[in-house]
Amino acid sequence: MAGITVTGVARSFGEVHAVRDASFEVAPGSVAGLIGPNGAGKTTLLLMLATLLAPDAGTIRIAGYDPVTEPHQVRRRMGWMPDVLGSWPTLSVRAALTTSARMYGMGADEASARAQQLVELVDLVPLAEQATRVLSRGQKQRLSLARALVHDPEVLLLDEPASGLDPAARAELRELVRRLAGEGKTILVSSHVLAELEEMADSAVYLAAGATAAPEEVARAGRSARHWRIRSLDAERLVSALGDAGFGEVAVVDRFGAVVPLTSEPDAAQLLAHLIGSGVPVSSFAPAVGDLEHVFHDLNRAGDDA
Amino acid sequence: MIGFFQGMWLIVALDLKQRVRGVAWYVLLGVFVLLVTIVTVLVVIATNAWDSGGGAVFSTVVFFVLLLGTLVSPALSGNAINGEREAGTLATTQVTLVTTAQLVVGKWLAAWITALAFLVASVPFLVFGVVLGEVSASTIAVSLVVLAVEVGVIAAIGVGLSGVIARPLFSVVVTYLVVAALSIGTLIAFALGGAAMQSTVHSTYISVDYEALDDSGQIPDGDEVPCLAPVVSEYPTPRWDYVWGFLAANPYVVVADASPGTFDEHGSPRDLFGWIAVGVRQAQHAPDLETTYDECADWRKYGAYGYGGPGEGETPKEVYERSVPSWFVGLSIHVLLGAGALAWAWRRTEVPVKRLAPGSRIA
Repeated sequence: MAGITVTGVARSFGEVHAVRDASFEVAPGSVAGLIGPNGAGKTTLLLMLATLLAPDAGTIRIAGYDPVTEPHQVRRRMGWMPDVLGSWPTLSVRAALTTSARMYGMGADEASARAQQLVELVDLVPLAEQATRVLSRGQKQRLSLARALVHDPEVLLLDEPASGLDPAARAELRELVRRLAGEGKTILVSSHVLAELEEMADSAVYLAAGATAAPEEVARAGRSARHWRIRSLDAERLVSALGDAGFGEVAVVDRFGAVVPLTSEPDAAQLLAHLIGSGVPVSSFAPAVGDLEHVFHDLNRAGDDA
Repeated sequence: MIGFFQGMWLIVALDLKQRVRGVAWYVLLGVFVLLVTIVTVLVVIATNAWDSGGGAVFSTVVFFVLLLGTLVSPALSGNAINGEREAGTLATTQVTLVTTAQLVVGKWLAAWITALAFLVASVPFLVFGVVLGEVSASTIAVSLVVLAVEVGVIAAIGVGLSGVIARPLFSVVVTYLVVAALSIGTLIAFALGGAAMQSTVHSTYISVDYEALDDSGQIPDGDEVPCLAPVVSEYPTPRWDYVWGFLAANPYVVVADASPGTFDEHGSPRDLFGWIAVGVRQAQHAPDLETTYDECADWRKYGAYGYGGPGEGETPKEVYERSVPSWFVGLSIHVLLGAGALAWAWRRTEVPVKRLAPGSRIA
């Protein structure tokens, strides 16, 4: 399979084991979220995928090539957006993109045409002739994304692409990522904003303390009890109906409504039917946190308990 | 695949584009021209160059350009690679098809070209020295070429160290220390080394017995020259011939020694460069550890109060010509140093990184 395949990858820096055991696959045409707490080894893992760092153990395949032995082939096909915002400060946005394109072997005309396309794509047209040092954090982030796309790579590695972006730019990023996946590209996105990943990722890679969670662990975490938020136009009736259903003890009631732990989706459906049947005017009935966040917290808790 | 020169030139162009947009560089160039102007004017006044020719002006300006070049070059090159790493632009270049070798060589060429701008700015002053006369075209050409190479070596050391040492400030300082070691350290090593490794000279003196001379100080008729027994005295002498390599590695000596020596009819050098060259080459030769001064023999040969006369001792020109051209040795040492520094930087900057020094980072 092309795309990204990572098997048993480990990397330590002296005594620090940044990545201990990472294994996952991302299929072409899909978006995977790379999720983990700070210091879990996300950036180290991405550096290894981006041909910058050699793993101590394990194998990596990017678009079918090994980043250690065939970095050149990988670089041709891989676009990397780093978490550190680096740009040549005195060059204009357009010049920076043209230079990047030329570094991928494009001719002068082709490179400037590509720069123009990208400037339009990431909405930096009004700033195209400005020096990159005057850009705001979010604008630099967009420039960085454009640079990762400059050679139309089939595999994209995005390290915290949404940080510093305003809500409109985030929505555009989401659309862009989905569109690129639709074109058959393989995309790995790391982010802390789980709600955001939820909307663009097809699958998730959970990384905690340098190790990826096994699929069965993820499945189990997904099945564990989670919180559902219920809102009603009539709070008192909601509370009494929850009491009737046996949730009086565990429900947390606040001024927005109630939060109830439920083990599974059928349980949720049953409770909703009960509430409606009791005549509670329910205006909202949804998981309090997204799927990714739920699994993330659950795995972290499991990690802490262990 | 991206061609080696194409990729390297991209890095050079990128680096130069960023430099020329900064104000600092122009200020530095302006200060440089101002200083060279002041020095030239002072030297012209001091040496009375309008009458005595431009040799002194020329050699002083060349040395001054070398001094400023070696002072400016570390600042221009000493943060080439680790500065980019700090700015977060190194890794984004390394994930492109530009190879590490192209990156390192490109950075070096850019730093060199920038430093050469200072050399170009000094050309009017050198031409002025030439116009005053008495400087040969070959001296000018050779001095400029060697000057350019020396500045390139400093640039290579600076870029090399910037690839080896993680922190920009530290690598710039170390580059300055290397320049100081070459410019001043070699002189100290030469002086101390030579003085420490001394040999004993056995000097034999055979004197005329003045007591045996007649009243007018002449040998009594028909007699042999009256001689005293040989007196042997011992004294230590420094062995410069063991340590002349240090002196050869001095960039000022390289520039001076490389310019073709011109000598007057007595075999004495015509300019400052020539005197330095003769001095350095003289140091290559082992001192004569068994010297004999036979006054008696001289008396027999030349008569009373005779002496060896001209032709006995070597002229500077003869010393110059029978010695190894030390600039060649010095320049080879420098070029090896520079190339070594670049190679080291290449190895340390190569990705994917296998062994990462503590405290350094990739992106």
